[in-house]
Amino acid sequence: MIDIRSLTFRYDGAEEDALRDVTLEIPDGAFLGIIGPAGAGKTTLALSVGGIIPHEIRGDFYGAVKVDGLDTADNKLTDLSRLVGTVFQDVESQIVSSVVEDEILYGLENFGIPRDEIEERMDFALGQVGIAGLRHRTISSLSGGQRQKVVIASLVALRPKILVLDEPTGELDPSSSRQIFSLLRSLNREYGMTVVVVEQKIMLLCEFAERLAVMSEGRVVRDGTVREVLGDIAGLEAIGVNCPRSALFSSLLSEKLGREVPVAVNADEAVETARRIIG
Amino acid sequence: MTDLFQVVPGNSPLHRMNPVTKIVLTLAVSVAAFLTDNLFVLLFLLAFDLMIGVVGGVTRKAFSIFKGLLKVSVFLFILQALFVRRGNRLFWIVTDEGLLTAAAVVLRLLVVCLPLALIMTVTQPSDIANSLVQVLHLPYAYAFTLTTAIRFIPQFMEEMSGIMEAQTARGVEFDTKNAAKKLGMLLPLCVPLLISSVRRTGATATAAKARGFELRTRQSGYKRYGFGAVDLMGFLVSAALIAGAALIR
Ligand SMILES: Nc1ncnc2c1ncn2[C@@H]1O[C@H](COP(=O)(O)OP(=O)(O)OP(=O)(O)O)[C@@H](O)[C@H]1O
Ligand SMILES: [Mg+2]
Repeated sequence: MIDIRSLTFRYDGAEEDALRDVTLEIPDGAFLGIIGPAGAGKTTLALSVGGIIPHEIRGDFYGAVKVDGLDTADNKLTDLSRLVGTVFQDVESQIVSSVVEDEILYGLENFGIPRDEIEERMDFALGQVGIAGLRHRTISSLSGGQRQKVVIASLVALRPKILVLDEPTGELDPSSSRQIFSLLRSLNREYGMTVVVVEQKIMLLCEFAERLAVMSEGRVVRDGTVREVLGDIAGLEAIGVNCPRSALFSSLLSEKLGREVPVAVNADEAVETARRIIG
Repeated sequence: MTDLFQVVPGNSPLHRMNPVTKIVLTLAVSVAAFLTDNLFVLLFLLAFDLMIGVVGGVTRKAFSIFKGLLKVSVFLFILQALFVRRGNRLFWIVTDEGLLTAAAVVLRLLVVCLPLALIMTVTQPSDIANSLVQVLHLPYAYAFTLTTAIRFIPQFMEEMSGIMEAQTARGVEFDTKNAAKKLGMLLPLCVPLLISSVRRTGATATAAKARGFELRTRQSGYKRYGFGAVDLMGFLVSAALIAGAALIR
């Protein structure tokens, strides 16, 4: 479990707190999406889960983050990273090798994965992310989207108990984005991996995530199942979160009819709702 | 220009050679070049360098690097020829010994720089780092710094040319003949680039730490860097170069 208690963080030299009194519990096996406008503190929160904050990034840190009972402030980043894998927002700067294969190997080698297991993990990661054909390519010959997939694969290969991804589809086209989210879902369901993903594409989050946390100005202002969070369209719009059209549709409908209409999380549900009301 | 530092994959004998052997070979060429003052030996070494490029399957690249170095060499040659005062005057202030020393200096520069650049084009930085750690027991932190720096060069150049393109689109003319003026225009662009790259390097180190950087030991590498027949050849050639240069001088 990830247990974030009254976490307040201010970057060194910053005028304002990036996180303000954030309390959030993420149970084992959850698939949580984090959404919010630019500068809301999503990245800061994501970095706090794996202990990058406070170990690597300095600032005023109040409160506590516990991962599987380990307090991130009291445990070394190396020990935490066996438990939590983090895909950073900036693709380029987290690549440490010059060849795809070496990039996937890096973490596997460091964490001492047995030699006879490495090949299988490599095939799995490359295959699942859909870049098996890129194995021997140099990083410099890849497109931005391909590099992003390599970065994701390098963490998938490690199979951490908790996987944190900060905007993992920022450079990807719609179909690759869906592919990554399908992969996250299967890691979540088949391996029981806890997935925490910061994502701007709310449609994807609503389709794949089970829970949503909405951030604004350093706070977690909504936290619940996707359906619960989408129940308050007006509130979300006020924060600056673009809602899926389907949810907008059901909320408008409910306003017009003057009675409760179930939230439509995706287009299929919207069609279903329309059909039921029209009769 | 940016592709100058990019590795050309392949399966030539040079690609298959242990990176450590390649470094030994490069060093041997350099040692040989400094042991001798004989212009013919230096010319032979230069030919040997270009041969390396041919064997590595990067002939075109070898010659383009050679041409690039040649430009610097001409400049260096003139400087040297003007400054050496010993020997008999040939014309103006140029002496015969001046010309000979200048030729030796320039040849030496070419002989030393060429294989270094060539080795980089047939060897992945991670292979250099891993083999140095595995075979020569270099502490991993140093190897990491080395690879990050090497990887960073093309990236820096890529960004630089990106910025230059953007500036050109806004009407700045970089293609001036005046070198000092060009430098004056480029320097202000370098500062923000450097700052951002220092920050980026920090982020890379953080990402590495989050993937077990501190656990890495000499035994961690999955790939093994063994020595084979090509390497034996490499060592023999290295020894022969040094011995030959020492004997002929
Ligand atoms: N290294 C830093 N130093 C100082 N302030 C920072 C630093 N990084 C982020 N901040 C500030 O902290 C706040 C939260 O930033 P954060 O990066 O967590 O936002 P975000 O929600 O991830 O935004 P985005 O959607 O743009 O990625 C912002 O006000 C930002 O300006
Ligand atoms: Mg962010």
